[in-house]
Amino acid sequence: MKNLLYKELKLSIHPTNYLFLALPLMLLIPNYPSYVAYIYMCLSLFFLFLLARENKDVYFSSLLPIQKTDQVKARVVVVMALELLQILISIPFAILHFTIPIINQAGIEPNLAFFGFQFGMFAVFNLFFLTGFYKTAHKIGIPLLIAGIVSILYYILAESLVWISNPFQSFLDSTVLSVILKQWPILLIGITIWVCLGYITYKISANRFLKVDV
Amino acid sequence: MPILSVKNLSKTYPKFQLNHVSFTLEKGYIMGFIGRNGAGKTTTLKSMMRLVYPHSGEVIVDGLDFNQNEFECKQKIGFVLGGVDYYPKKKIKTITEVTKRFYKSWDEEAYLGYLKRFELDQDKRIDELSAGMRVKYSLALALSHHAELLILDEPTSGLDPVSRDDLLNLFQELIQNEDKSILFSTHITSDLERCADYITYIKDGNIIYSEDKETFLNRFLEISGKQDQLTPELEKHLVGMRKHRFGFEALIASQQEINLSSYEISKPNLESIMIHLERD
Repeated sequence: MKNLLYKELKLSIHPTNYLFLALPLMLLIPNYPSYVAYIYMCLSLFFLFLLARENKDVYFSSLLPIQKTDQVKARVVVVMALELLQILISIPFAILHFTIPIINQAGIEPNLAFFGFQFGMFAVFNLFFLTGFYKTAHKIGIPLLIAGIVSILYYILAESLVWISNPFQSFLDSTVLSVILKQWPILLIGITIWVCLGYITYKISANRFLKVDV
Repeated sequence: MPILSVKNLSKTYPKFQLNHVSFTLEKGYIMGFIGRNGAGKTTTLKSMMRLVYPHSGEVIVDGLDFNQNEFECKQKIGFVLGGVDYYPKKKIKTITEVTKRFYKSWDEEAYLGYLKRFELDQDKRIDELSAGMRVKYSLALALSHHAELLILDEPTSGLDPVSRDDLLNLFQELIQNEDKSILFSTHITSDLERCADYITYIKDGNIIYSEDKETFLNRFLEISGKQDQLTPELEKHLVGMRKHRFGFEALIASQQEINLSSYEISKPNLESIMIHLERD
């Protein structure tokens, strides 16, 4: 696995994938939907797969002395590592967002509940995009379209919770530190879903990939 | 114990079927895998290595079942499927740097030796290499981890005559000095005349012969004669007959009861056998 991750770093990941990690900077834009920075992450993951496909990465990896499913495992790990890194990089920008403070009328505030929801969105995107890709290991447009639509629907649902009047509205959209700290269960649930769906994503993708002719 | 044993490998495509492919390669020998373009050579090799998902069949490498021991089996195999064409914008040294980490017995000295022998420059990008150089790089990677079995798909096509000669010499050196075994597919039959010990012949997804080269070559005689010598009785025994203005030429099984003394008889080479078998 270590060697495969080295391969991903050295050959598969493009420098722009790292550049996209810096986009949580957008949390400092006033009145801008917080989720947008993370939509770009999905685009970054699409580029990762697109470049790998054009460079015949699946073929190269299949020649290496590894189990066929290991290359799926390595890719799922890389995808989730990039997502986690982006969220970690978000932390200082989220803190800055509240301390400057930045006025945001455009949707949920980048608080703990927000990051919980964002982990959930990554989980859903991974599930649809990766399992869709590994059905053929070369068709990438349709999986992106389906994962994109599902993710947008997820965002609509998540944003509705702070837009449409409901008992949790002010709790979820809070900018007050004491309230934000009480949001930790949402973050925990988000992370749990992200990890569990990540594992399911790997299992389904690996099973599908086993039957693919490289 | 054979180094490689393939049993009943099958794979069905909408328009092509690999049909219960079976053959065995003993340690220390070279097997030529021949057949026309599209006969199923590459599909067989890819199915063996699980690049293609076979519907049934078993591949045993040095006593280990490939399906259950993919990692160990791949360590023992050097696999070349044409030239390197992945990551074309990366330098040779970058790809080697990544690849070598996967092999327990990577031999840097041997690798540098092959680079020198094949005149490969480590600082060149893959897309700067010619087709022949890409095959050579692919070979250098496959040969540098002390693989016991080399599976090579058309390793000589795209090489100039000097490089081909050098490569065939290298194959023989590997067999003689290091007890390796080689399975290589090709349609360049003269390469096999020179170095193969065994021939496995595939036609339309079926293995029609898999035996030592001498037995295979002795199976048939090349026969030619005048038009009036072509009796219906004789015609029944001919393989891949071609009629021309002066008569006919064909193959005939060397073991049969017809008296051939009035015909022109010669010993066919691999190319001639292949052409006649495919004409049938």
